[in-house]
Amino acid sequence: MNSRIVTRAGTLLPLSILLMLLVLPVYGARAQNFDFEHLDRVVRTFSVIVEMKVELSFGTHTNEQEERLLGTVVTEDGLVIFDGSFLAQDDALSSFAGFAVKTTPTSVEITAFDGEVYDAEYVGTDRFTRIGFARIVGTDDKTFTPVRFTRNHEFKVGSWVALYMLLPEYVNPPLAADVGMISALLEAPEKFPLTVGYSVLELASVLFDEQLTPVGVLGSLADPSAPQTDAGGLIESFGEFDIPMLGVITAERLEKLITDPPQRGKIDRAWLGITLQALTRDIAEFLEIDASGGIIVNDVVKGSPAKKAGFRIGDVVYEINGQPIEIDREERLSIFQRRIAQMGAGTSVEFSVFRPGDQVTDSLKVLAILEAAPLAPSDAAEYENKALEFKVRDLVFADYIRLNREEESFKGVVVSELQRGGLATLGGFQIGDVIQRIDNTPVRSVSDAEAVMAKFEVNRPDEVIFFVWRDNKTMFINVKAVWE
Amino acid sequence: MAGLTALILLAVVSALGTQTAFSELQQQIYDARDRVLPALVHIQPVIKNYRTGELKKQAVVGSGLIFHPDGYVVTNYHVAGKAERIICTLYDKEQVPAIYVGGDPPTDIAVLKLQLDDYPGRIAVADLGNSDSVQVGQQVLAMGSPLSLSRTVSAGVISTKDRFFSSDYRLPSGERTGRYNLWIQTDAAINPGNSGGPLVDLSGRVIGINSRATFFANNLGFAIPINIVKETTAAILEHGKVSRSWIGVQCQALQELEDYFGAAGTPGVLIASVDPGSPADINFLKAGDIIMAIDGEPVSARFLEELPAFYKRIASHRPGSKITLRVLRDENEYEFSLVTKELGDLQGEDFECSDWGLTVKAITQQMQIENQLQDTLGVYVMGVKQVGAADVAGVRPRDVIASINRKTVCGLADFISMYNDLSAVGTTKILLTINRHGAIRLAALNVDPKEDGPAHEQ
Repeated sequence: MNSRIVTRAGTLLPLSILLMLLVLPVYGARAQNFDFEHLDRVVRTFSVIVEMKVELSFGTHTNEQEERLLGTVVTEDGLVIFDGSFLAQDDALSSFAGFAVKTTPTSVEITAFDGEVYDAEYVGTDRFTRIGFARIVGTDDKTFTPVRFTRNHEFKVGSWVALYMLLPEYVNPPLAADVGMISALLEAPEKFPLTVGYSVLELASVLFDEQLTPVGVLGSLADPSAPQTDAGGLIESFGEFDIPMLGVITAERLEKLITDPPQRGKIDRAWLGITLQALTRDIAEFLEIDASGGIIVNDVVKGSPAKKAGFRIGDVVYEINGQPIEIDREERLSIFQRRIAQMGAGTSVEFSVFRPGDQVTDSLKVLAILEAAPLAPSDAAEYENKALEFKVRDLVFADYIRLNREEESFKGVVVSELQRGGLATLGGFQIGDVIQRIDNTPVRSVSDAEAVMAKFEVNRPDEVIFFVWRDNKTMFINVKAVWE
Repeated sequence: MAGLTALILLAVVSALGTQTAFSELQQQIYDARDRVLPALVHIQPVIKNYRTGELKKQAVVGSGLIFHPDGYVVTNYHVAGKAERIICTLYDKEQVPAIYVGGDPPTDIAVLKLQLDDYPGRIAVADLGNSDSVQVGQQVLAMGSPLSLSRTVSAGVISTKDRFFSSDYRLPSGERTGRYNLWIQTDAAINPGNSGGPLVDLSGRVIGINSRATFFANNLGFAIPINIVKETTAAILEHGKVSRSWIGVQCQALQELEDYFGAAGTPGVLIASVDPGSPADINFLKAGDIIMAIDGEPVSARFLEELPAFYKRIASHRPGSKITLRVLRDENEYEFSLVTKELGDLQGEDFECSDWGLTVKAITQQMQIENQLQDTLGVYVMGVKQVGAADVAGVRPRDVIASINRKTVCGLADFISMYNDLSAVGTTKILLTINRHGAIRLAALNVDPKEDGPAHEQ
């Protein structure tokens, strides 16, 4: 918990500066008029404190940390939302680290403001809004009072919103109110009522208008540096926003999530199946393309929606469903990737495309039906062998890109976790090794690995020989076994 | 009383004995010093560094040894490889220029030739010994210019004569090194600048060329055995380079795996990996095969320390030779005949494109394998100058430039002529097609227009 505050403190300063610049002058214009005495009572009916233990694994070591967050009950059967930012970063961390960084909630406890304590289970975190979901369990008959968001609220620049934030454990009362203003109604990169002056510590708190109607929760704008890429979790560039842009995750967006909460390991994003680069002004000039931005198709993945739709290498996409793509530098690529990801599998999308030919550049429309994106490394199926002290996971699309291998011909499982001083480590394993055979049995998936290792658990050989791919070469690894 | 006298006498005799042995040892050291030190050379080459995206000349300091009466000097490749301007200071403090004759990155050896026309003295030539007969514990002297302090002698013993280092170690110029030799380890002080200097036994014969030391440790220095050096220098003097056969196998010590392969007690060399497209690959050798003999002669590598000799054994064939391998596979023996290929350069020639702000290399066969490339077409980006045209356009080190303005780049010569043509015309807009880790992308370079105006006034 402490570490979270420390890491986030850095963002508070620029936010407070913005607050002074933009919010203070408005106070003079029109004062807010919230009945906080009443609101405080309302908030306590559906607010809860979520306490989670989270295991953070970085390949060779695992840390446990505790999180204490403000949660909100959103259904009568006890579905609770909270700020899941810290749980939605696996892909981002993994793509920089080169191996899977994984956050796994190990226990969730929920305390209502009437003092009642409940057990809960972690459900999942939405990749886009970063709202986390947990469900209260073991109370079959109990009906909870959920917050009821108002749909189709008309946001206006200058209208006030209020929320409550959770204060540190050592202070009482635990809640503090905060007021903000709708500062802009953003149209791009997504429709987003922007607020200025809130802090990231208040993410996922319910926002009320002056009639004390819940209109949504505080969330952050699609961050261009977010790793929801078309390639399934691979992007090298950093985003251009240093300060998170906070605003309203509206009731309409929340409703969808509440009806069908994201589940860990379930693909909740769509993809097209291309590798891409930004259409910079310089490249546009070369290709003699008159567009303010776009993306260049550098590769089309076999069997992907893009392949089926007839995309070709060298195509320049400049519109999605008639809307121009304002991407003229690499840092903005993920705007495109996120837009595709959020559309959902099964969506038909019309792309306007320039196709440079030998003589002339054709302009055409390409209709693609998006499909569910491939698994990210952190979502891949895993298998742990406790005796030899290693964990492996299935190869996923991002691995094939990273390793520059073909999916049809290259099979195996990736070593995702090793114990320091563990038997597998002593045998010479490294994180990222791809195990292709165990003993003489080809290993194509974690279930293959599990099946072979299950035999060994019975036979208990003195050593287990692995055939491994590392750095574009193969090798044999002998792990001396100790069976207990 | 009698007992005490005996004690004293013994002490005196013993002291006398030590004195004699000490003087003998001292004399041996003096003799060894006198036989080698006059042939010691302090080397100051200017080497070329292309890593930052521009050609940077770098003055370095190392050591060397005159090993041939015609004024040939042996040193390390990492000291004077492809050096442009080399100043040598001989033992008599006279400065003599030298030229680079040739070098061999895999053994980290380079040969220079002293330009002795204006040298007033007579050069001394060191005797090269036999590194196969050295012994652990044997006393040795290291000579060279540690931290540029020329004519420095340090003493120690041979700590180990078969130290193995993985050949993943790279020279500053990018080549992997150390695949074909073990190392003589010594506790004689070796510091940066000792590189290329001799390790000498007490009979005054050179048994190794000091090349490496371990940072953050004391007295861990490593010399290339002189027998390796002799072969390398002979090849360089004769052909300008060392020619090696390549079959494309990476091997692993058999010891840990012999039971698994049903080869307990059987001598052999375990293939761990086969390079794609290599002679071993096209002849269907595969990981897990155990090579038992080459042309009927048994080979073995139960331990890591035996691997360099095996690799050297393969390499020592004339490229294009037919060799027959007896191979143990699934507990049956098979014979494989294959024709070796020339190993070739580990890294290609460098070229600086100053207008574009990048440096490139020719792609050799070994680079192709290492970088998982389809072929050796194009050029490899070695460095990208910060905020240069290539950097701004998104070109990165390790990219492969496949085409310029939509014209395929076949190799470095092709690239250089295209670059020179574009530079001569003063083209400011360049479109590169780049292969980055298997994916194609475009890079549009905005090259600064050349200033054709009058030169700046001083």
